Amino acid sequence: MCEIHRGVKLDFIYIIAMMLVALGLYCLLLKRNLIKMVIGLAVLTDGIHLFLISLGYRAGGVAAIVSGDWFSDLPGFAARAVDPVPQALVLTSIVINICILALALSLAIYAYRHYGTLDPSKIRRLKE
Amino acid sequence: MVYEPVLFGPGFWGPIVATAALLLIAAVTWLILICGRRITKAQPSDQKMQTYACGEVLEAEEVHADSEQFFSPIRRVFKPFYRYVRPGHTGILSTYLFWVVVGLIIILVAIAVVLG
Amino acid sequence: MIPHAPILAILIPLFAAFLMPVVGIFARWKGLKRAREWFAIAAVLVEFAIVVSMLPAVWGGQVLVYQLGGWQPPWGINLAIDGLNLLVALIVAGIGTLVMIYSFVYMERDTGLDQYYTLFLLILAGMMGVALTGDIFNLYVFFEIMCISSYALVAFRRNWQSIEASIKYMIVSSLGTSFILLGVALLYGLAGSLNIADLAQKLGPVASSAVIVPLALFVTGFGIKIAMVPLHMWLPDAYQAAPSAVAALFSGATATVGIYAMMRVVYTLFGALAIGIMFATLGLVTMVLGAFMALVQRDLKRLLAYSCISQIGYILLGIGLGTTLGIQGGLFHLFNNAIYKTMLFMIVGAIIYRVGTSNMDELGGLWKNMPVTGTLFVVGALAISGVPPFNGFASKWTIYVAGIEAGQPVFTIIALITSALTLAYFLKALNSIFLGQRPAHLKDVKETPRSMLLPIILLAVLCVVFGVLPQLGIDLVRPAQEALMNSSGYISAVLGGA
Repeated sequence: MCEIHRGVKLDFIYIIAMMLVALGLYCLLLKRNLIKMVIGLAVLTDGIHLFLISLGYRAGGVAAIVSGDWFSDLPGFAARAVDPVPQALVLTSIVINICILALALSLAIYAYRHYGTLDPSKIRRLKE
Repeated sequence: MVYEPVLFGPGFWGPIVATAALLLIAAVTWLILICGRRITKAQPSDQKMQTYACGEVLEAEEVHADSEQFFSPIRRVFKPFYRYVRPGHTGILSTYLFWVVVGLIIILVAIAVVLG
Repeated sequence: MIPHAPILAILIPLFAAFLMPVVGIFARWKGLKRAREWFAIAAVLVEFAIVVSMLPAVWGGQVLVYQLGGWQPPWGINLAIDGLNLLVALIVAGIGTLVMIYSFVYMERDTGLDQYYTLFLLILAGMMGVALTGDIFNLYVFFEIMCISSYALVAFRRNWQSIEASIKYMIVSSLGTSFILLGVALLYGLAGSLNIADLAQKLGPVASSAVIVPLALFVTGFGIKIAMVPLHMWLPDAYQAAPSAVAALFSGATATVGIYAMMRVVYTLFGALAIGIMFATLGLVTMVLGAFMALVQRDLKRLLAYSCISQIGYILLGIGLGTTLGIQGGLFHLFNNAIYKTMLFMIVGAIIYRVGTSNMDELGGLWKNMPVTGTLFVVGALAISGVPPFNGFASKWTIYVAGIEAGQPVFTIIALITSALTLAYFLKALNSIFLGQRPAHLKDVKETPRSMLLPIILLAVLCVVFGVLPQLGIDLVRPAQEALMNSSGYISAVLGGA
């Protein structure tokens, strides 16, 4: 299975993915608003998802579902199908990420109720 | 039970022996305490019961050691730590995230050095 | 062994979590009191029994490999259980059971207990999944289940402290888990597999420079969970703000699971025993910083949280030394730490339950009111400071000897001094809470309720038993140590055991 994506050169999309990760990290580190930080987290994980999904990509590939004529040509199918594992991983990871985003935003709402601000440098009663 | 020799000197550690010794010594200490019990009757007077605080009047119930200053000598010895590292725990989320990234870089460099 | 025991250990808390809201509705409809609590306790007890039933086979040297859906590794997801997995599963199930019994009374004044028990069972399912799985992505998913339920548990009371702590914890920890996901993605790109054993085999011939980045990402991700310096800052906030029962579970079980994941990935998957020296050094920094910070705290829960960081340092030191004795000592300390740290958090919870505060400046002289709790606190404090005849001494001693045998006497000396500091801050806590003058308004404080004392006493007994008979504890962790040091056995058992 590991040979599927070896021959494909996808440098450009990897660079884009890593740029998304870096952008998310920048947003997390330097933005002074909880909502923006949550957005940064989302961008960061989406960069990782893009990286992961492009690992399984192949130019001109078919979906990894055996159907119709492919039943009679399984080796040909294996040579053309995209790697299905990253797709499954990304799907799982997106679901997990939705949970985190929903929880983070609801906590941000509560924080605004308690503190009257979303600035993390003012939400600091617990320290040292 | 076999007591294996330890590299840094003679002696052995037997947990049961040690526990028995601890209990024995505790019993002896208790006996000494019993012997040293006061015989004369306590004669409390108002003056004796007062807490001396430079002339201020303090109720006994209100006297309490400040828990932050409890080990102030140790704090004095390790002054640099309490001056620089402790205020680093600012409680600001951005600082925490900054240190996570610094930690990642430290770990990355350490692994790169070790695995070479 | 019960058939399908490995998967049942994960599924039972998971399904019990889903059933919990239904049980709650049913209980209110029928007017049954405590139905939720009994249901939750039954679920964790069954889980514990299942984990115990796997003990004889694994201790006999067998690696249990359970293939989900009958797919052979490396294609299918599998659960692989050797001595190390089982030790962690045992700690998780045992601590989970005791904390559940403790929550019975401790949480009774809160509302929304359906959600509390649902989250509690979910976090148990997540931890059990991390402990038993043999698949790296599956490990990530269960890790996320554990993390998400822990964010919600920290925020459970929704007052300002818990919301603030939960937000900080959540964003820092989510960054950590995305590092882990990135590490998984890089590994998949590198070796094209997700099975831990298969990956370990495929990474063998790969040049070591290629694995530096994924390894660092994994170490950082798990390091956040176990609060390794400098990734530790969220922990005191989270432990201070969480309900004490939750903090007890975190300090006992979640930290253990984090260390397990770190060891499994670094030592088995990457086979990177060489970076142990980095763990030992970071462990030293962690233990010293935790101890110094704990010395000046005003809040007992925060003090215990820093003490937790400090103890993690000992475990990292032991494991990082990489020798047989060092790993044995580290794992034994992991086991002991779960026992007394859970116990101490439970005692703080008991004080909060009766007095309403854990601020040490407002407490004092409670020995007259709560002699049993005070005695148990002394047992816990002496055990954690490494005073014989309690269990902390046995494991710390093993780590000290291991440090000298590994040719690192400086490590041992620093560890010894830190141990003295540990005793110092626990004496301060003892003095501020149980001794000294009792403020007038604390005159009517009562002893801790019996059902809360029961799990604490059980843990205290364990402290004494493993202190007086340390050989018992060493025997308990030896299968785990052998499993950790024998990664080729794990690999061949998973891949060859069709």
